[in-house]
Amino acid sequence: MRRQDAARLVRARLVQIYLPIAELSMNLFFLIGIGGAVGFLSGLFGVGGGFLLTPLLIFSGVPSPVAVASVTGQVAAASTSGALSYYRRDGIDLHLALYLILSSTIGAMAGVATFSLLRSLGQLDLFISVSYFLLLGFVGVLMMAEALRTLWRRRSGVVPRDKSASQHGWMHGLPMRIRFKKSRLYISVIPVLVIGLFIGWVGALLGIGGGFILVPALVYLLRVPANVVVGTSLLQVVAMMCVTTILQALTSQSVDVVLAFCLMVGGTIGAQFGASAGKYLRGDQLRALLALLVLGVAIRFGLALVLPPGDPFSMALVTPGGAG
Amino acid sequence: MRRLLLALALILTVAPAGAERLVSTVSTPTVQITSSFDGTVLSLFGNVESSVPAIPADGPFNVIIVITGPLQDRVARLKTNAYGIWTNTEQVSFRQFPSFYAVIASGKLGDIADESVLAADAIRPEDQALIAAKSIDFKAQRFGSELIRLMTEQGHFVVREDGVRFLSNTAYVAQVTLPSDVANGPFLAHTIVLKNRQMVAEGSQGFAVRKTGFENFVFVASRQQPLLYGIVCVLLALGTGWLAGVVFKR
Repeated sequence: MRRQDAARLVRARLVQIYLPIAELSMNLFFLIGIGGAVGFLSGLFGVGGGFLLTPLLIFSGVPSPVAVASVTGQVAAASTSGALSYYRRDGIDLHLALYLILSSTIGAMAGVATFSLLRSLGQLDLFISVSYFLLLGFVGVLMMAEALRTLWRRRSGVVPRDKSASQHGWMHGLPMRIRFKKSRLYISVIPVLVIGLFIGWVGALLGIGGGFILVPALVYLLRVPANVVVGTSLLQVVAMMCVTTILQALTSQSVDVVLAFCLMVGGTIGAQFGASAGKYLRGDQLRALLALLVLGVAIRFGLALVLPPGDPFSMALVTPGGAG
Repeated sequence: MRRLLLALALILTVAPAGAERLVSTVSTPTVQITSSFDGTVLSLFGNVESSVPAIPADGPFNVIIVITGPLQDRVARLKTNAYGIWTNTEQVSFRQFPSFYAVIASGKLGDIADESVLAADAIRPEDQALIAAKSIDFKAQRFGSELIRLMTEQGHFVVREDGVRFLSNTAYVAQVTLPSDVANGPFLAHTIVLKNRQMVAEGSQGFAVRKTGFENFVFVASRQQPLLYGIVCVLLALGTGWLAGVVFKR
């Protein structure tokens, strides 16, 4: 058989793939493609990419519980390869990551409980849209302002000070101080645990890894140096997504392993290119780009809240846990 | 009581003309879902026969086939603007509502059947919505027709009034398309034979839509061994990420 014929056969066979938990078929290349695009961003910025991938899948027709649950697997995979490449470059503070992982696991359990509570009260959709808008808008504006200030200073010839090592905020002086050698920090453990709890809670509630909140929190609140912040954040996202995947498999039973695997294949490849591309950009440029992305998604959610919908009617399947 | 009278009236009017019976079948008794499943087309065949061998079945006949998929609970919601924000404010629940519903007929429903025949079996999709809403008030009607519109847009509700083709006076064939995201479970094809706008015979065939092989294995595993399934997903994610890291190592 000629090679062209073989290629055509493969294309015809593989172009549609059936997702056994979602109970529908989708285009294989579309799934790998969006996985790859989001994976690239996740490698570049050290964010999981869940806040992009979940809405994309829902928009493509995947039932939202399946989308939320399966994206956690994809985010874990994409972040694993990212975290590994940072680990090889010695860019992870394992000590700090351990504290974050432990506290965010507890936060995630609280988040799952809050999720079911909100679901039983109704208006979960509204809560998620408003939270996305406020959270992403707030984080995006902060990051953008900071990044623009740094960029402007650099352009006007002022050498920006490396703020990370020496400056201390009030929260660093709280009791129970611990030395994080890799981050060159000697700070109270309380803000670290609070950040971990919050990330875990929000992540499980909104179905996101929380990297886009964790990176700025580590940079601005804890003053973690730029060379370890992305790697540490990625490791924390990997751990939290693994916990969330198992929690989802146990409670909602909507993790679609076929869907997750298609996204993973694209995502891991994309993440490699993203991590390489990240080396050619300065920290402030990266933060400005991430801020743009986060703001874009926030505006998208904001517009959906205030603009008249194309179709005022919608339908949803009622599952044993409540209407999706 | 009304239904009983109607049935009685039917027997009285139809029986003397010659009792017909229906022989019908469906092309695929079990639709198997494999990894490349992308929807499917089913054929339904049938023949109207006389139950009295001496008298041949005498047309012209008309046929309505109603195909009902597994029942599910659904809600239809309406977004309204409150304080500048669009939110779901009203909703109507539809209990035991068909996940798939196709009405395939040999002519316009209103032309080939009396309204009483259509109403007795709740053939029109709107009737299905009212039954599922357990209400006939204005709100249920409005949300019901919107739900049917949404289901129709997704290919889950179909009304085809030219879908049944007669091959002879008594033999017919019809086709129905199941979309790729069709619900899994038991389906029922209920066929009604009409003559002079009255029902003269009916019959039902069941068929099933079922995952097979790997797809079935994955689904069963996620339901029966959720912890193991979750752990496998996590290991797969970590393994894929690790492998990509090794492959792309520079």
